[in-house]
Amino acid sequence: MKILRFAAMLAALVALFSIAACGDDDDDGGGEGAADAEKVGEAKAQGDVTWCIGKDTTGAFKTVVENFNKENPKANAKLIELPTAADEQRRLQIQRLRAESPECDVLGMDVVWTAEYAAQGWITDVTEAVEARKDEFIPSTLETAFYDGKYWAIPFNTNAGFIYWRTDEVGDKPPESWEAMYDTAQKDNGIVYQGARYEGLTVNFLELLYSAGGTVVNDDATEATADSQETRDVLTFMQKGIDDGAAPKAVTTYMEEESRRAFESGNGTYMRNWPYAYALGKESKIADDFAVTTFPKYGENEGAGVLGGYDLAISAYSENPEGALAFANFATSPEAQAIQASQASLPAVLTDVYEDPTVTKALPFASELRDAVEQAKPRPVTPVYPQVSEAVYNNVFAVLQGDMTPDEAATKMNEEIQTALETF
Amino acid sequence: MASTQVANRHETPTPAPAKPQAERPRRHWVKPVLLWTAVVFIFIFCLFPFYWLINVSLKTGGALSEADLIPPNPSLDNYQSVFENSDFTDALRNSVIITTVTTVLALVVGSFAAYALARLRFSMKFLILAVILSISTFPPIAIAAPIFKLWTDIGLYNTYPGLIIPYLTFALPLCIYILVTFFKQIPKELEEAALVDGATHFQAFRKVVLPLAAPGLVTAGLLTAFFVWNEFLLAVTLTSSPSAYTVPVVVANFTGASDFEVPLGTISAASVVITIPLVALVIIFQRRIVAGMTAGAVKG
Amino acid sequence: MEAATARISRRQERRRYGSGERRLAALMLSPAMVVIALVAAYPIGYAIWLSLNEYSVRVPGLSRFAGFKNYSEALGSSEFWDAVVTTFLFTGISVSLEFLVGLGMALAMHEAFRGRALLRTVVLVPWAVLTVVSAITWRTIFEPNLGLATQVLSTLGLPGADVVWLGESGYAMAVMVLADVWKTAPFMALLLLAGLQVIPDDVYDAAKVDGAGTWQRFRAITLPLLVPAILVALIFRTLDALRIFDLPFVLTRGSNGTTTLSLLAHQELTTNRLIGLGSALSVLTFVIVMTVSFIYIRTVGGNIRDLAKDD
Repeated sequence: MKILRFAAMLAALVALFSIAACGDDDDDGGGEGAADAEKVGEAKAQGDVTWCIGKDTTGAFKTVVENFNKENPKANAKLIELPTAADEQRRLQIQRLRAESPECDVLGMDVVWTAEYAAQGWITDVTEAVEARKDEFIPSTLETAFYDGKYWAIPFNTNAGFIYWRTDEVGDKPPESWEAMYDTAQKDNGIVYQGARYEGLTVNFLELLYSAGGTVVNDDATEATADSQETRDVLTFMQKGIDDGAAPKAVTTYMEEESRRAFESGNGTYMRNWPYAYALGKESKIADDFAVTTFPKYGENEGAGVLGGYDLAISAYSENPEGALAFANFATSPEAQAIQASQASLPAVLTDVYEDPTVTKALPFASELRDAVEQAKPRPVTPVYPQVSEAVYNNVFAVLQGDMTPDEAATKMNEEIQTALETF
Repeated sequence: MASTQVANRHETPTPAPAKPQAERPRRHWVKPVLLWTAVVFIFIFCLFPFYWLINVSLKTGGALSEADLIPPNPSLDNYQSVFENSDFTDALRNSVIITTVTTVLALVVGSFAAYALARLRFSMKFLILAVILSISTFPPIAIAAPIFKLWTDIGLYNTYPGLIIPYLTFALPLCIYILVTFFKQIPKELEEAALVDGATHFQAFRKVVLPLAAPGLVTAGLLTAFFVWNEFLLAVTLTSSPSAYTVPVVVANFTGASDFEVPLGTISAASVVITIPLVALVIIFQRRIVAGMTAGAVKG
Repeated sequence: MEAATARISRRQERRRYGSGERRLAALMLSPAMVVIALVAAYPIGYAIWLSLNEYSVRVPGLSRFAGFKNYSEALGSSEFWDAVVTTFLFTGISVSLEFLVGLGMALAMHEAFRGRALLRTVVLVPWAVLTVVSAITWRTIFEPNLGLATQVLSTLGLPGADVVWLGESGYAMAVMVLADVWKTAPFMALLLLAGLQVIPDDVYDAAKVDGAGTWQRFRAITLPLLVPAILVALIFRTLDALRIFDLPFVLTRGSNGTTTLSLLAHQELTTNRLIGLGSALSVLTFVIVMTVSFIYIRTVGGNIRDLAKDD
């Protein structure tokens, strides 16, 4: 009886999947791809515009939406907040994009997703709109929106990492080098950074790796270059930091918010974080006790930063692309950018904003910020960036946890990156 | 309780082996102590986490960073912001509608199928019943991606039917199993009398069997409703906007990465809001629910 | 003579009712069967088809037939086997603990002469809490720096106070098991209680007269007579535990050794967009779970046979 039942089920399954096979005229929910992407027409500030972006930790996003609605009575902009973690934001955005859902008109897109979203045809070609305003933007930020000969988004904010330190614990002088910083941290209250197993760890790792002069992929992202002495050195340095107690073991669970809170509650002398933590720090109990600086030297080399930030892309499934474009332009206008920079220390993408007196007052390090942004290096530009990043952070994480030696991790990382780059 | 009475009866001295006699002086208080310890443990084990949830939901601001067992300044702010949050209220509405529709449909379709299986004679009954029950053992992930693609192609993504249809499929085995058990307990004579009086099988079903199986229907309905209300994987895969997402989706996405200032209080308040009606339902219907759970587990 | 007439009329009866009944049965069964075919069988078929292809992550709409490549990739990957180990380890530990705790609760509920209904209600509270809510609650209890667990552990001076529970393998699994046991030991308890209540007291009385001690009575009477209920409870829970998704997803998103089979398939499908590989993993998960459920049908199949018997 059992066998009969099993056979019947098997037969049914085979029959059904033959039917399914015939019915599969495949369409992985994608558009036409980068080549024939849709273009947006003229911007028109009207209709409903929904903006899907990560959590508004500083209130700046709500301000932009309110101001847009005030200035454009015919339009109705709405904010949908996605979780704080970039990986989660991507997961939720691509779920809607693959389902061809019109729910999000404007996507707050992390700069590393541009290649993927564009290749999949999920976002519209905004080359005309960008070309019209090209000179306003810091050039490195424009590169983050560029792929396959076209512009796919409007830069919204940029980001370069900084070192924050407690002036009441180690004085006013910035640390001279990463090594010196770790030494002091070990004796003092430690250094906190983003060491959880996610994209943020890739960033933290690459900052050190770029400083050491290493890379993970070659220039056109066709080959992995992670199997190098620089990689091993950096991994050893990071692992030693945890083993020696310079960085608390808990960093392996920290993302941006956790490290910021640890620093603010006195559980860290040094912190690596994005500029946004500056405004929040100024409202916390350590408001007068910290300062920021660009990355110090690593070995013989100047410190290097990784370019982060968000661009505003228009969903290919939006029902109001013109309104979406109007909103994106508004959010990247000099006034809006100045507000975001001064209120939330979100680094502006417009060069002139860094000269604005309100901005320089709120962000004493505004000019360093602009310099840091101009010099920051991008992460690998490839439609399979998420897989490449996973290959990086999985292996770095294993080293931090003590589950792998730097040597093993470097080899494995390289293999996995290569596999990712060769993904069909 | 019978066994304690028996225990007392056994206290009369009988020529018993040494071991029980040595236990005799201890017997009086060991068992009750163990028993009451167990009962206290059960209370704490079952209720504490729920208490903790309520505790956190009444805290605001700085108190959320402390692990006090009693909120220092209890306030209903979190509850207020939960109800002002249109995402949450939309999700509540969606959950209620989807659960109700699915339950009703499952009971209707399920009772038809259960009657056929319980009373009517036809071949391959065992096979059909086995196939139906095996559906309840499917891992939902196996059908999540195909249904996502299907629904995207035909436009059912993020809609009520988009969730109701898969939920119905998973609810049916449960309903059918419970209802078949209940139907079989109804004496055949009643239906036979109706048939002799000239009723068709279907009329006998509607007028005789269904009313008598009402408790079974309630049980099946309750368990189905619990299942649908709770379901997470399909909801998270097949919906993403307030027009169709359900309570588990909203509550889980409140969290995302860790965020412990205002959201923790609100998440807890939202969680309490959803749970209290369920607990109330459970209290009222606990007999039915237990009967459904144990249907078939114990013969008879 | 009478017997023959009786037999003939019974045959006639069967023929008369036979086709009518069968038609009615088909009619009454068809809605359920259609829904099941549509939503369970067809998607499984589709999933198998998807698993036999490779879908490009670079170029939308591009796919190629890949035969069993996805399967060999899955079966050759450490992630898959880690997930298998994680899933079975979780199932084994969790179900055993649930059983033990549930049995203890059932015995206590069986013996308690006052407040039995209150106990049953209390015991159903964890079951009434949404799975997602339960996961969130346990997550916040084990949150580093803020959580209750670390506070309690450090007050009691127990080890583990400075461990980041959800951030370390082993510990994260422990929290997952704890959360699952909390939620489902009550379910076990109720099933076992039902089994306990069916055992007649006379059997115990006879044993006591014969001088059997508490433990002996338990081992010789209670346990054996409870076996059917135990089996059903174990099987239900085992199948649920093998398929678990909600708990690890909300608790840790699968990091630190808590990636179960369902979670792994989900990650490949949604985050990595590897439809072919993800589908292969889904099908493998399906096969594993269904195999275990076959074992179930074999041991407890008697119940289904009874249900399917014409009486």
